[in-house]
Amino acid sequence: MPRAPSATTQSATRRSGPTGVGLGLRWEFLEEVLEGPRIDVAFFEVSPENYMRRGGYYPAALEALTERYAFLTHGLTLSLGAVDPPAPSYLAELEAEVRRLGSPWHSDHLCCSSSGSLMLHELLPLQHSRESVARVADRLRATEDRLGVPMAVENVSYYAHLGAPEMPETEFISRVLEQSDCGLLLDVNNVYVNAKNHGFDAREFILDLPLERVVQVHVAGHSLAQWDTSLTIDTHGAPVCDPVYDLLELAIAHIGPVAVLLERDNDIPGLSELLAEVRRLEARYTAGVRRFEERHAIPA
Amino acid sequence: MQSRLERIWADLTLGDGFGDEPTQAAVRAWLERQGLEASEAHFLEQQGIERLLVYRRLVRGNLREALELCMPRVVARLGAMFDEYFARFLRERGPRTHYLRDVTPEFLEFCVPLWAIDARVPAYVIELADHEALQLTIASMQACPKGHIPAELSLEAGVEFIDASRIVHYEHAIHEVLDDAANPSTPRRESTWLLVYRSPEHEVRTLKLTPLAAAILLRLSELKETLNQAVVTACAERRTPLGEEVLGETAALLADLADRGVLLGQASTVPRE
Repeated sequence: MPRAPSATTQSATRRSGPTGVGLGLRWEFLEEVLEGPRIDVAFFEVSPENYMRRGGYYPAALEALTERYAFLTHGLTLSLGAVDPPAPSYLAELEAEVRRLGSPWHSDHLCCSSSGSLMLHELLPLQHSRESVARVADRLRATEDRLGVPMAVENVSYYAHLGAPEMPETEFISRVLEQSDCGLLLDVNNVYVNAKNHGFDAREFILDLPLERVVQVHVAGHSLAQWDTSLTIDTHGAPVCDPVYDLLELAIAHIGPVAVLLERDNDIPGLSELLAEVRRLEARYTAGVRRFEERHAIPA
Repeated sequence: MQSRLERIWADLTLGDGFGDEPTQAAVRAWLERQGLEASEAHFLEQQGIERLLVYRRLVRGNLREALELCMPRVVARLGAMFDEYFARFLRERGPRTHYLRDVTPEFLEFCVPLWAIDARVPAYVIELADHEALQLTIASMQACPKGHIPAELSLEAGVEFIDASRIVHYEHAIHEVLDDAANPSTPRRESTWLLVYRSPEHEVRTLKLTPLAAAILLRLSELKETLNQAVVTACAERRTPLGEEVLGETAALLADLADRGVLLGQASTVPRE
């Protein structure tokens, strides 16, 4: 049963969170952030699975940082498209962690990462089918009710599909969002990687999405596969490239002010280098917001 | 449909339907065994079968990296045998946890009984694996209350320790190969008692104990005996005369453990009779 479509719900969700460019908090520079002066980022994003159900230095440090910075949570293992729901104990731990960090929403990926009781720890693409839409939308609504915060789903990068699609990916995403009334975490790098690997126009793809539902944007780097240089892999292990910056500005020009994250998970450089990249992103983000405002300006 | 796709994904990424460097022919044969309909098989052919194998690389790479990160010394010492057991773990059991860091305990739960009967695996490797896993456990245990001030100890009361501490016994001097993960040396065969704990600075540390000190601390921490009972019984057990020297050394040990943030003070619960 679809929820009543409400772009206004997503606007309210977006307004409840930070806007501007934030950074994925990684253990490699956690101490530097903790002990140094306040860093000029709009927010930090963390994967709660890395901190849940544990004590010690990392959760203690994270808790201290929540007093100084806004946090968004972005999960890895909800496996929203899987047939089996996540374990209740996992959801309880996730709910506690999201609440502890004060995240205004929680996001995870539009994918499957499990097979029955097996957890594959990878973002496996779903078949773009009506059956998948219904299952994911149900799971999103149930998860939202369990976690007590709005949910957002991220479009994933993929290299192959197992099941032949019944609809284009943009329609698949739109239907999931409409039936669940959840937000979209738009990963512009994933769109770019998929466009390169599958030969479609990334700009058209973005403009075909229900952008009024976007609550957050992800930006990252990618690399060519070492074993096959015709394949682009979503590694999060390289600086953001110019075409992805262009896609970000395009998206922001249509979305408006929103939370934008620089993701870096591999070959993580020093904090100063990451912050320089945040500044470059901010310049393009600001340009995008300016274009958005121009588009929505009321003529004098 | 999704259940079937999930089974295929699991078999593709964890199974051994083809080797580590599979040929297209091997993958085609594997696909045929999955019972795909002609239209589905055609769809996969159109995408390029090698694209499917990307997921095999990614899944196995993620899991292997997690294990290497958690127990680098064991992986280094097992060499090619690690690859063999890694493949067997994926094929016969597979990861079940939501938490990548917990794949290591799952892997060890599967492998240790097999290593115990595999003559190729040195006995010390099992102890080293236990120890590396214990370090992870201690590192991620819940923190003790902040600002805790140890209460005075009494001979007639028990002693309370932080949760993030364990006393372990090995047949090898495991602690001597811990500092350098790349150190390929084999630990000496020597009965070894260690206290593994998390410091107030959240570092996992290891303290070598004498057999008598280990006996006293085990009686205090696990049997919840009073300090008096623990010292008297441990001395009897170890056939060590109970005198000024033992009492002095025990007091020094407990003071040292309080300094290290391991000893919380007098136990609040009523000790066993």
